[in-house]
Amino acid sequence: MKIRPVVIALLAFTGTVDALYLSIKRNAGPIPCHITRGCTDVLTSKYSTVAGIPLSAIGLAFYITILSLAVFTIFEEPNHPLTRTLAGIFYISGLALVVSALLVGVQAFILKAYCEYCLLSAALVLSIFLASPHPVRNKPPE
Amino acid sequence: MWGMPKFMKPVIVIVLAVGVAAGAAVFLSRGSEEPNEASATASETPNHVEIKGGGHVRGSEKAPLTLVEFGDYQCPSCGAYHPFVKEVLNRYPDKVKLEFHHYPLVSIHPNSFAAAKAVEAAGEQGHYWEMHDAVFEYQSAWADKPDPKPIFALLANRIGINGTVLVQTMDSPEIQARILKDIERGENAKIEAVPTFFINGERTHITLSMEDFAQVIDARLHK
Repeated sequence: MKIRPVVIALLAFTGTVDALYLSIKRNAGPIPCHITRGCTDVLTSKYSTVAGIPLSAIGLAFYITILSLAVFTIFEEPNHPLTRTLAGIFYISGLALVVSALLVGVQAFILKAYCEYCLLSAALVLSIFLASPHPVRNKPPE
Repeated sequence: MWGMPKFMKPVIVIVLAVGVAAGAAVFLSRGSEEPNEASATASETPNHVEIKGGGHVRGSEKAPLTLVEFGDYQCPSCGAYHPFVKEVLNRYPDKVKLEFHHYPLVSIHPNSFAAAKAVEAAGEQGHYWEMHDAVFEYQSAWADKPDPKPIFALLANRIGINGTVLVQTMDSPEIQARILKDIERGENAKIEAVPTFFINGERTHITLSMEDFAQVIDARLHK
């Protein structure tokens, strides 16, 4: 059983639901928070889009990419090197982790408001990164 | 699945997973908009609320639709909604009136309570709505100031009232009590986010666009 890609696929699935939910709610009026306070502030702030594209849409593209790579890894032959798909997950989630850290910083220090859906996404990105094997250290034998 | 190319299995799984995720997201988003009667959310956020007393009314008293807004002057999204609310009143002068209630979220907007007091104090001088507009329109000028009072005084002078008097009166116990009473009304109405709108008592989600405001208002007028 390939535990890591299954775990990554489940995390990416949760992230896909989160990003889709935000994409729907973003255009449907104020967004209620249940744990934190200030969801609408965060999600309607000028930091919620990049070049006119909502961050929730970028997050959705990220999670579907990771989900696809993880599912392809699950279906690979047991002895297949898997280097490309796993390396892809490692590097893409690493980049996403840097972006997530910046966005948590924006919430904490600039907006001074937190959005629980965004914090969940940051936690999922961190978990995906930690679950993805380092491509160099886990290189299969030649 | 005989005869199926090898890559098809993961593709089918991915498509199914994204489909299930989309279904779940739609279900969750609808769930929070239209709470099921049996759910805990329904009892916490009733769709129809009678807001008794308080609030300031703008527009024709005889207008058949009352747009109630629970707002926070320091909340960026309330600031973003403000021009659309004004446009609604311009577009439907005899059909819609606005009833604004204070709901300052002081834990995340430390100057919001002071702003509400400044607007109430301007009301004491007969210029509530002018100050309401000015405070929203110049939100970025005072929102992050350790002491926003000098900016409120400047805004008061700008709308033609005495800024010094405004600063002197804004801390009066009567004004404070009025705002606290509004917060209590908001808590009773289970306000979860600002701005929250009600049309004739019915909690209404309105997108940040004039088209959506017009659509919602037209639908209610033709009901």
